Amino acid sequence: MEIMIILLPLALFLGGVFLAAFIWSARKGQYDDLETPRFRMLLDDENKVNKTTIVKDGK
Amino acid sequence: MTLCTHCDEVVLVGHFNREDEAKLRPFCCFGCQTVFNTLHEIGLDSYYEIKKNSAIYKRRSPVESGGSEFKYIDDPEFLTEFSYSTGQHLTMEFYLEGIHCLACLWLVEKLPVILKGVVSSKLDIERSVATVVIDSSGQFSQVAKEFSRLGYRPHPLKNSQDSQALKIKEERSSLLRIGVAGASAGNIMIYAVSLYAGAADRYAEIFNGLTILFALPVLTYSAYPFYKNAWNAIRNKTLSIDIPISLALVIGAFMGFYNVFVGIQENYFDSLCTLVFLLLISRYFLQKIQERGLAAKDLHFFYLNDSVLKASNIELNEFVEVHPKFLKTGDIIKVMPNDFLAADGKVIKGISKMNRAFLTGESKPVSVEVGDEVFSGSQNLFQEIIVEVSKTGKDTRLGQILKNVENGWSHRSHLIDLTSRISKYFTLTVCLLAISLFLFRFMQGDVKIAFEQALTLLIVTCPCALALSIPLTFTRSLSKASKLGIIIKNDSVLEKTSKLKNVFIDKTGTLTHGKLQILDFETSSHNVFDIIYALESLSSHPVAMALVEYSKPRCQNTVKISNYEERLGVGVQGEIGGHFYEIKDGGVFENSQKIASFKVEDSIREDSKKSVRDLTLSGLSVHILSGDNAEVVQRTANQVGIRPENTHFGLTPEMKSSEVAKYPHSLMVGDGANDAIVLSEADVGVAVLGAMDISLRAAEVYLTTPGLNPVVTIVTLSKETMKVIRRNLLLSLGYNSLSVAAAFMGLISPLVAAIIMPLSSLTVLVSTLVGTKKMRALWK
Repeated sequence: MEIMIILLPLALFLGGVFLAAFIWSARKGQYDDLETPRFRMLLDDENKVNKTTIVKDGK
Repeated sequence: MTLCTHCDEVVLVGHFNREDEAKLRPFCCFGCQTVFNTLHEIGLDSYYEIKKNSAIYKRRSPVESGGSEFKYIDDPEFLTEFSYSTGQHLTMEFYLEGIHCLACLWLVEKLPVILKGVVSSKLDIERSVATVVIDSSGQFSQVAKEFSRLGYRPHPLKNSQDSQALKIKEERSSLLRIGVAGASAGNIMIYAVSLYAGAADRYAEIFNGLTILFALPVLTYSAYPFYKNAWNAIRNKTLSIDIPISLALVIGAFMGFYNVFVGIQENYFDSLCTLVFLLLISRYFLQKIQERGLAAKDLHFFYLNDSVLKASNIELNEFVEVHPKFLKTGDIIKVMPNDFLAADGKVIKGISKMNRAFLTGESKPVSVEVGDEVFSGSQNLFQEIIVEVSKTGKDTRLGQILKNVENGWSHRSHLIDLTSRISKYFTLTVCLLAISLFLFRFMQGDVKIAFEQALTLLIVTCPCALALSIPLTFTRSLSKASKLGIIIKNDSVLEKTSKLKNVFIDKTGTLTHGKLQILDFETSSHNVFDIIYALESLSSHPVAMALVEYSKPRCQNTVKISNYEERLGVGVQGEIGGHFYEIKDGGVFENSQKIASFKVEDSIREDSKKSVRDLTLSGLSVHILSGDNAEVVQRTANQVGIRPENTHFGLTPEMKSSEVAKYPHSLMVGDGANDAIVLSEADVGVAVLGAMDISLRAAEVYLTTPGLNPVVTIVTLSKETMKVIRRNLLLSLGYNSLSVAAAFMGLISPLVAAIIMPLSSLTVLVSTLVGTKKMRALWK
């Protein structure tokens, strides 16, 4: 049972790491919008729009 | 059934691109057609490719915009209030009307490519809010113009950073509470199970210490909302479910420490942490689902977002574009055809016709001339008029309606919900039982056992199942309903709907399509469509618009008109190719000879009759409620099978509301702004697909699929949901009586308590997930 001396701190440490990661990501606002990203990832990044034809004056 | 190329609405009267005839792409309205052409022109055709492969998020057609220049947005005063700067960049949030699917997301986020000066554009599809960042070369007026060109009506959102930031902060902290509770509950299990399995001596001490370590943040930080609510309830002298929960938590913690201290192996920390975690998470999801709906607050400013032409110098006939917020009493404004009036006032120049359907539900336009009063929210149909402003903002008639809607919401939310009502009796019973158990054991002579058992009883009868079952059942029903296209903003809707007796249905736009259509067109002449199109396209009367729509795809040549005249209240006339034509009284006349006849009607939705029958069959009395005249309303009622004594006609928005108030347990289905008050006043308000934004906000439920059939679904769903809730309550009361009996017989021990608590929650969970037979049929 001496293995417990290693296992216990290890379990606590791992749990702590994941909890810290969760707290960090929640504070960073990773969970603020839970709806849009699942749609956004479906869109390709490649720009099918031909930029030269649509340059418009911003003014 | 043909669907619109752009918005996927069912096309009733097709619009077609002239030059695109070979491909025959149908559109439901001019707005969709314009947006299609715009997208094509700027090379964003892939919108349709994306849309084809994406599930429709919520169906809503693009919004027609008045071609406003949005100049007021660049006004420095406006910018300080509506935007905020981050370094070199300016950020503004726009609420976009008309967001409906993945393709919209793609389009909105393509803005930096389309428009110079835009750094980034991010859309929150759930809130329909786009956050746009521009640099010094960009202008927000251009951004707004581009949005409206793409078919979304933009409303700049006030940079209410405070309230928004506060909301985000609250949301994040509730997530953190759940996270901490979940992590602790998970970890604590390892040690608790070891303890139950018989860990002893040194390990027992270490493990007990660890469970306390994990339980502390859960019982303090994560459970804080329960203590807060309980405290508030006590201060307000009411009872809430949070009181027994807090009681159980505090007593459980106390007993846990006591057990560890005196060396009893079992402590309650594992059950308590799991309980806190489950409760927090079920509340979080319930709140999330309800937030999906549009809020009723901040209503008024939505209707102040189009710019107005204000006279800067009336003698020189000079006008500047300003935001309606800056209008004052006595200002002179110019109202262009098709514009919506932004303030109440008096006409001082010009004659025109106003469409007040938005306010009153009257479908016929009203003529106005110098000296007449005009109201904010009505649309100018005919020609420009000059108006002297008498009332602005919240003082206008529209402002008052909006205020009523907001009030309706606030008084409605005070209804005591089911959970609180039950917990009232529950708390009292449990406390009484605990006291009597204590006295019972005390009389037998053992103070220590009496004390321990009374406390154990309090923990075991802890309302876990009770507190869990109701939010869980509601959450499941609400989320399933939203998959069926029914967005329910408030869980009390289900409870109220299950007691429903009367259903009120607005006529225009709900039972009918809400759009005039030409029916039974008969003619022997082949070129009659050319004539109709030419003559009627000069008029902006609703009948004329219907005729234009009808004749446009059918006409072959353009013809020249002379001596055109629109006779108000009669029709139009003009000379074409030497003949004199008149269009009036449902006919086309060539030199006073009738050459074509037609009927103009707002046609009834195909599914209305069946839905009305289904509602009647489920024991409800169905009423029709309309601002239209008796004849039209009664004919419609007759066609859909509503009894004549249940027709209510000629009603103003305020009268509708008082009519519904006469009938208790009523549900109102409507769409227009004129329904907004009654939607917020009725026990349950349902806004149908295509309803005005104000109605969507005023109603507690809105439908994203067409027709009345979803209303039938809500009625069934609510009855079934209440059945499941009753079953769950029975189950948890069963468990509780069992444990109370065990406690009185002296059978209860901490270990039994630790088994009963999660078991009762699990039973409730399974019962909720299984639902009822009718529910399972609905989900299919």
